[in-house]
Amino acid sequence: MLLVDFLRDELGLTGTHIGCDTGHCGACTVLMNGVTVKSCLLLAAQANNADIQTIEGLAVENELHPIQEAFLEQNALQCGYCTPGMILSSLFLLQRNPNPSDEEIKRGIDGNLCRCTGYLNIVKAVKAATVKMKRTGT
Amino acid sequence: MNEALTLLSSKEEAKVLAGGQSLVTLMKLRLAAPKALIDINGITELAHIHEEGGVITVGALTRYDQLAESSLIREKVPLLAEAASMVADQQVRNRGTIGGSLAHADPSADLPTACTAADAKIVTMSLNGSRSIEMSDFFRDYFITALREDEIVKEVRIPIPPQRSGSAYLKLTRGHNDFAIVSVATQLTVDNNHLCEAVNVVFGGVAPTPLHAKETERLLKNRKPDENLLNEAAQVAANGLSPTSDIRASADYKLEMAKVLTKRALKTSLDRAMGSV
Repeated sequence: MLLVDFLRDELGLTGTHIGCDTGHCGACTVLMNGVTVKSCLLLAAQANNADIQTIEGLAVENELHPIQEAFLEQNALQCGYCTPGMILSSLFLLQRNPNPSDEEIKRGIDGNLCRCTGYLNIVKAVKAATVKMKRTGT
Repeated sequence: MNEALTLLSSKEEAKVLAGGQSLVTLMKLRLAAPKALIDINGITELAHIHEEGGVITVGALTRYDQLAESSLIREKVPLLAEAASMVADQQVRNRGTIGGSLAHADPSADLPTACTAADAKIVTMSLNGSRSIEMSDFFRDYFITALREDEIVKEVRIPIPPQRSGSAYLKLTRGHNDFAIVSVATQLTVDNNHLCEAVNVVFGGVAPTPLHAKETERLLKNRKPDENLLNEAAQVAANGLSPTSDIRASADYKLEMAKVLTKRALKTSLDRAMGSV
């Protein structure tokens, strides 16, 4: 059983999506031990003893994470299918590089495909999130 | 490691699972269907990077991202860091390993080409002991290596290039960090008189395995690489190449791009070699 199937079917955490099933689109992206991975390329058994963070774990109680806020404000999603993976990849990028250039953002999220937005608003959202995160010290 | 090797020897049609970025993808496409998977991610002694006696040793389980970010590798064997940073995407780089990349032996992949140009050696292990294999002997054909069925890649050893060395890894792709249509890895060393005392030019994506551009290398050896020589060297780079036309590009295009990339990579390597004076 793949990790993505375990998360969705066994744990009911359907925020992680299956987009292509061949490891290309990144819709299945989760954080494993703090780094982004494609959960469709991991067997569930390989996550034994690992710390997994899915999109459901990002908002704290009723407060959205700055990245989630920024995505909303910048219209960085339409159908929302790529969004969980896109946000988690953005999170990993910003944790590593709190002040990325546009080019660095594009490279940082190039493991996540979006068929709706054309990416411009996503890049804007990540940029906007850096400001928010600096302010709140996230 | 012993447990893994024992399992590998005893289980029929078993495959070693490391990063899984290639293997699991193949399984999902139904192109691979091993009867057993031996997950070696827990063998921590396979994940290390260290320097000893002019050689950088990288454990097989070292992830692409670790190679790309390691200050030791960026400083001492930058060709490896450069190639590793251009693999696929962040998620793949977080998980995929150097051992897996070499064992998988996709000639359009980045590390096999770069490691060949870096004159790396692979150390493998089986229950019978270990052996060291030169890159040129390791890759046999598309996805076929000298690895025996009971062997696991243990580590990769890369000699640290001397002073006045420069390298470059360039790849032509459709999108960001796709598999290469054509790629080239170059590494050269110039001596006191700015003559080329060592040069490697290795292509990816144009043959069943990474391939040295032998005529180019011959042309440059012991000569001063000025603009004219570099042009000449690039022109002959495609000699002896017979790439296949495939889903990524026609053979003609690959040949033409091989020359272009060779010129650029050599120029960059040279600039870097001079800059390090």
